[in-house]
Amino acid sequence: MATPIGASPTYVGNPSLQNVDGADKITGRARYVGDMTVPGMLVGKVLRSAVPHARIVELDVTPALAVAGVRAAITHRDFVDNGPFGWPVRDAFVLAYRKVRYVGDPIAAVAADTAEAAQAGIEAIRVTYELLPVISDMAAALDPGAPQIPEVSPTGKGNLCATHLLRNGDPDSLLAGGQVILEATYSLPHQEHAYLETEGALAIPEPGGGVTVYANCQSPHIARDTAALVLGLEPSLVRVIQPFVGGAFGGKDDIVYQTTAQVAKLALLAGRPVRLVLSRPESMAASYKRESMKSRITLAADSDGTLRAAKVAITVDSGAYASMSPMTAWRATMHAAGAYRYQAVHVDTQVLYTNNGYSGAFRGFGNTPASAAAELAIDELAERLGRDPLEFRLQNCLRSGDCTMTGVRTPGGAGLAACLEWVRDRSDWATKRAAYDEQRAVGAGVDSRRSRRGIGVACYFHGSGLGGEGVDFATARLAVDADYGITLTAGLTDFGQGSRTVFSLLAAETLGVRMDRIRVLRPDTQTALDSGPTVASRASIVGGNAVRVTAQKIGHVLTLAAADLLGCAPERILRSGEAYIGPAEDPISFEAVVDHARTMGLQLSADGRWQVRPIEWDFERGTGEPYFAYVFGAQVAEVEVSAVTGRTRVLKIWAAHDAGTILYPKGALGQMYGGIAQGLGYALMEDFRFEAGMPQALDFDRYRIPRAMDIPDIEGTYIQMLPVGTGQPPVGTGQPGGPYGAKNLAEPVMIATAPAIANAFAQATGRRVRSMPLPLWNG
Amino acid sequence: MPLVFTLNGDEIRLDDIPDGMLLVDVLRDHLGLTGTKRGCETGTCGMCSVLVDGVLTRSCRTKAIDVAGRLVTTIEGIHGPDGALSDLQAAFLEHGAVQCGYCTPAMVLAAEALLRRHSDPTREQIRSAINGILCRCTGYMQIVDAIEATAAVRAGRNRRTGQNRTAGRRSDREQER
Ligand code: FES
Ligand code: FES
Repeated sequence: MATPIGASPTYVGNPSLQNVDGADKITGRARYVGDMTVPGMLVGKVLRSAVPHARIVELDVTPALAVAGVRAAITHRDFVDNGPFGWPVRDAFVLAYRKVRYVGDPIAAVAADTAEAAQAGIEAIRVTYELLPVISDMAAALDPGAPQIPEVSPTGKGNLCATHLLRNGDPDSLLAGGQVILEATYSLPHQEHAYLETEGALAIPEPGGGVTVYANCQSPHIARDTAALVLGLEPSLVRVIQPFVGGAFGGKDDIVYQTTAQVAKLALLAGRPVRLVLSRPESMAASYKRESMKSRITLAADSDGTLRAAKVAITVDSGAYASMSPMTAWRATMHAAGAYRYQAVHVDTQVLYTNNGYSGAFRGFGNTPASAAAELAIDELAERLGRDPLEFRLQNCLRSGDCTMTGVRTPGGAGLAACLEWVRDRSDWATKRAAYDEQRAVGAGVDSRRSRRGIGVACYFHGSGLGGEGVDFATARLAVDADYGITLTAGLTDFGQGSRTVFSLLAAETLGVRMDRIRVLRPDTQTALDSGPTVASRASIVGGNAVRVTAQKIGHVLTLAAADLLGCAPERILRSGEAYIGPAEDPISFEAVVDHARTMGLQLSADGRWQVRPIEWDFERGTGEPYFAYVFGAQVAEVEVSAVTGRTRVLKIWAAHDAGTILYPKGALGQMYGGIAQGLGYALMEDFRFEAGMPQALDFDRYRIPRAMDIPDIEGTYIQMLPVGTGQPPVGTGQPGGPYGAKNLAEPVMIATAPAIANAFAQATGRRVRSMPLPLWNG
Repeated sequence: MPLVFTLNGDEIRLDDIPDGMLLVDVLRDHLGLTGTKRGCETGTCGMCSVLVDGVLTRSCRTKAIDVAGRLVTTIEGIHGPDGALSDLQAAFLEHGAVQCGYCTPAMVLAAEALLRRHSDPTREQIRSAINGILCRCTGYMQIVDAIEATAAVRAGRNRRTGQNRTAGRRSDREQER
């Protein structure tokens, strides 16, 4: 049967869709930067600081150049203005200038014929320090006598890196009203991204003074612009190409921009290609982390359980450099009291410099620790009120039409209650909760006398896209090729989260063609247009919309060609599979339409751009509309705590996410499971600790991430918007403007896991925890 | 020293391999087989896993000379009868078990090693068999699903050809689950 263009999606939401890069990866053919070699390639290596805070008194790389096989050696002096970079605060250097500020700070780099020669070169570099006092605790950062870590304080107030505030009503008067009050401080740890592929880049000098760099960064355009600036080259002379990337999760921004610039300089000086891949301990020390955070939360509720007001004071440990911390902290501020209705909320946030590594973007982007704190507090408050924690959440959670904690109505509706009900029903919540309460009361375990079980819940909301963090746009380019394939160039990138598949299916769907016609080019600054950073789970939504509007342009041209060929008005053209059908009902092939379009001289390539509706946040007054839409979700965790080992084991997790339309179902579930695994690690084992500025774990023996046996089976669902026209009211909610009603999901799915586990631990042991990872239980 | 071993069915002769050289370096740097990855080089992440005489082995902890005369299989040696994807590889794609793909070669080899010695693994046994290989992307769920499904299909095929196990064992397992 003939269908009009776009009438019946065949790829959107199709459960049999597979990853478009799958075959390359499953056969081992996919090449990551460390797999790439070119003739004459040198090995790059970086000298990094072994101390957390020091002034560099002397730095001399000439002895390194005397080492046999060393071809180039660089310091800050080799870069324009000593090589500053960083956004939104330009406080970092490609190689340390004047000071080192954390263990792992890069000081100098060499390129040599072999790894051994590079290592010898590094060891020959002469560097002497004057040690400075180490700030390892946020509480000490603002002491009047504390040494200032940045050369220039961005706030003019020493180690205060940034502040944010949110003002909605007057919580103080409500707090004074004599209801049930909870006041507590929660601490969340640094977390390491632990992508299995470490950071790396391969730079190839080009004739004409330019350089091409293959780098496993998240945003090739930012890598190019950063490198061009510090190298003193026109951006057009620096080309950055992103090969396959072995995981990023927010972690391959600044550290890889820095690596890109270092390697490019080495290659230009040596006149030969240079590849530099970080070792695991080097990566763990040098790369930025999820920020550690303290959140002091005051909540007030009526005795009937109605939440009234919240006040939150957050401090964020940005470490040695700002990186994205001012922005993750802003997102934390916007979510600090959780996904509930309040009459008044105030939040005050401080971002502080310390010598604890440095912090930046990581899945959830500030909301992960902020919501973890809020969800622990809400659970404690429910207990104080004598309420079931899940029913208490249902009573107060955001529903369509409610105002969020910023005082602005949720755009596009809220499917949170449906998520909470789903996890409640699937987990058999009420029965288990009662059984485990009883078990604790009589002091007996379920499995044995020695273990106890508990079940806990947490939920979240998450603002979509960049919000007030920046102009949220993406671009795409599509061209029909001579062989009738279609080349798609997208600015936003894929590092394992499946955006290439999503872009392909959106292009195929919109054009009404087979998906295998679409070839997605690897991101390359020479061909792709700038689309800003691939952060904030925005690839599917913002990038997907850009692909869609671009495909619509070409689809329009093809329809005109088909109409001309068939001698009818464009509105009368129908589609059947790929074929175009006119009133005479003779199908003509896609190829024939393309050929005809070419003879008509029509252009079969197009650029498209899509931008999120602008929103306004007043940073001075702490008011406004922070995001154009929100997503929601809830999770339940069931745990068993052993009295022998004190360890907590997660028995099962139920997860529901209000995701609008699911574009790529297998990928969406994979994102959910992967996010939950990272949340489980955050709750139980991942603690990137610093002692006096020294990182305590630089390998996977000491920094443990979840293995297959640590993770239980997960029962997850996406609460989807029902298709229009079913006559049933939608359960979940669509995203205003998302392609086919899709919402973002890659980041927020991990947010509920850690607090749900901690709340289950509290039921099992009777002990409330206010920090992560969970302690061993000692009875 | 010289080294002779069988790699993915072909005999490999290398004239001069330094004594302490690691298998991962021979595979990647000398032979250009980059499907075997490095993730830590200290034996904890499992990215460098290969099969040596069918046993899952970390090539970053194995001296190249120790595989002299033995059979080594890397991801480049895994494929179906016609050179296309093996059933296991296809199942990984069908179940969405591949995200960034960095752990994928090692996961496929670990699964293959398990299925060769165990035709009917439980989910727990599958988790145990891949426990030495980290994956930061997938949460392992769909990897376990893919291996479980492959085992079921292979068992079915074996049953039809009268090899391996009985229908009774199969239904036992279903009850277990
Ligand atoms: S590279 Fe990690 S175990 Fe070998
Ligand atoms: S798919 Fe990325 S590490 Fe496993």
